[in-house]
Amino acid sequence: MAFEPKPMLPGDAHDAARRFAEASATTLARLQEPAARAAELAVQWDALLELGWAGMLVPEDCGGAGGTLLDMAALAEGAGSAALALPLVAVCAVAPTLLAGQPLLLAELAAGRLQPCVVLAGGITAETGRLSGRALGVETPPVPGHALVAVEDALYLLDLGTAGAGFTRHERIDGRLTLDLELQGAPARLLAADAGASIARARDLGALLSCVEAVAAMGTLIRQTIDYLLQRQQFGTALASFQALRHRVAEMYVAWRNLTGLVQAALRTPEERNIAFAKLRLGEAGRFVAEQAIQVHGGMGMTEELPATRLARRILMAEFEWGDRHAQAARLLAAA
Amino acid sequence: MDETAELAAFRAEVRDFALTRCPPEIRAVVAANGKLGRKQWAPWQRILHAHGWGAPSWPKEHGGTGWDQRRRHIFDEVLAECDCPPQYHHGLRHLGPVLIAFGTEEQKARFLPGILSGEDWWCQGYSEPGAGSDLASLKTRAVREGEEYVVTGQKLWTSHAHEADWMYTLVRTNAEVKRQEGITLLLIPLDAPGIRVREVRTIDGWHHVNEVFLDAVRVPVANRIGEENKGWTYGKFLLDRERLGGANVAPAFRFLDRCRALVARELAAPGQALKREQLEYRLLLAEAELRGARELGRAAVEAVMAGEPLGLMPSELKLSTADTVQRIGAIALDAVGERVASRFRPVDASGPNAEVEDIEWVQNFMYLRAKTIFGGSNEVQKNVVAKQLFGM
Repeated sequence: MAFEPKPMLPGDAHDAARRFAEASATTLARLQEPAARAAELAVQWDALLELGWAGMLVPEDCGGAGGTLLDMAALAEGAGSAALALPLVAVCAVAPTLLAGQPLLLAELAAGRLQPCVVLAGGITAETGRLSGRALGVETPPVPGHALVAVEDALYLLDLGTAGAGFTRHERIDGRLTLDLELQGAPARLLAADAGASIARARDLGALLSCVEAVAAMGTLIRQTIDYLLQRQQFGTALASFQALRHRVAEMYVAWRNLTGLVQAALRTPEERNIAFAKLRLGEAGRFVAEQAIQVHGGMGMTEELPATRLARRILMAEFEWGDRHAQAARLLAAA
Repeated sequence: MDETAELAAFRAEVRDFALTRCPPEIRAVVAANGKLGRKQWAPWQRILHAHGWGAPSWPKEHGGTGWDQRRRHIFDEVLAECDCPPQYHHGLRHLGPVLIAFGTEEQKARFLPGILSGEDWWCQGYSEPGAGSDLASLKTRAVREGEEYVVTGQKLWTSHAHEADWMYTLVRTNAEVKRQEGITLLLIPLDAPGIRVREVRTIDGWHHVNEVFLDAVRVPVANRIGEENKGWTYGKFLLDRERLGGANVAPAFRFLDRCRALVARELAAPGQALKREQLEYRLLLAEAELRGARELGRAAVEAVMAGEPLGLMPSELKLSTADTVQRIGAIALDAVGERVASRFRPVDASGPNAEVEDIEWVQNFMYLRAKTIFGGSNEVQKNVVAKQLFGM
């Protein structure tokens, strides 16, 4: 029996998210055009909201499930193991963290009526409640409705249908949808003027859960790589018999295990430093695993339809969510 | 007290002991990344033994502490955090447990006390010129003559043989059977006639490994551990006991701290900003990897506590730390190499290495190359991991 990765957070939540993500990937794989995939993602996103996952972190008295970080992480791990192409972390974890203390909006979120994309990177300015500037490649639900926008320490809620707000959509390398926001004095609602701490907390939570998703994707990718090498015959023998390839896979496995250790430590003690180190390591270990997987799949690794390629691209993308490795290094060095 | 509070109290007790009782001149050698020898280890072992902490991994009835794996892990961690030497392992961690499990009452009475007190110094006669990673191919032969074995052959990479009293030695007693089934474990005094120890000059300029030549050395049969031709089993028992050795990442963290201080000190000038930032970045990458390894180490300790199999954990630990520590050594080399690597050996004075400031960093860089070679090379570890992952 070849390798089967063990989840960090096994259980019903993990399994449900995993099944959802696997079914999602199977359906999406049949669709050639980005527009067709976006339409399918919209259907899947509604199904995900039906499951109540947007309310996982929302308190019970706001209509949510009142779940813990580990409950949310179990969903992220299950979803990550099949590289779910939907903004689970952004909408179901980062958004409610930003909205802490806003019971009405939290209730809207839990009910699936508020589906905001989240803009934490700079580039937007605010003047008397009007937002201007550009934000590029912002992860979004399939049908964009609102944006939660951080401008320095202030947090705004923006209706994307309002005058002065425009956007175009793209598909990321991992198949998720993004917006390029173009704001020209778009009126927005100031939710909090001094939300610096909760913005930082939300970004850290996003970074941690991106790591969780990526760790899960790496486990699956390593399994698929091993399966492929066992199956694929060249020179009259299985590729799995070649030591150069076996050693690469051993290195992928150790990099994955090492990152898993960091992520487990950060889940146990989710403080800034632990998360920054985990995310920093994801930049190195994730990139390594993704590159090696493509390499040992040979020509097949260059094809877009290969499931392993999709996982590899998800892992590559995860590094850039909520602060890449250099951003993590910068804040670790600044704190030293 | 609950378990957590007990362990915290234990940690504090060990720390207090380490900081007050380990002689400053010994801790200074560790803090300067110097090479440890019997001169530092033996007095430290004597102090630990006098306190009842001579053998953390041995059962109480043989003079050990009887600590569980968690306490042993904390003990090792705290010693490293306080710049105390790790305990010299050949007697305590390698031979001791084998003696306890397979030795005769006479052997235990003769050898265990000297290991505990640090009076007897042991080295390991395993590797040979033709038997490195493939240890079972060893050729040093022992021929039975009455109540003695006559041992002839050569050992190599024998660490600390030049300061040891005894060598536990794998020898071939039967060349006709499967290689692993013709090996015997003998305890050989290094002052026996026919033994010659010669220094192997290594790239770090430190004297730590040797060649040991055995020419018709007569060893009493009473110095044989267990049965003839069962030495491989005992040797494997010994290595299995050592599989958690990599769980203690604390020394690597101290090494990282020292390297970080070096980088800050060496590259403080404004003109060095780019280099300093690059090295600081590489230090962060190394720290991240060590933090991951520390978690794997903790998980391994907990697996032992729960009686679960370690599986691939020892290989994961080795592969997660060995080249990370090498990379830290490389960062230090990048910091001082231009200034120090250029002044490595004195020309007009005696002594193997120049006495220039920070030369230990260059020596350590060289020494650390061995990290991925000894104790099962990284290539062997990857073979182990791959075999498990592929199921073939």
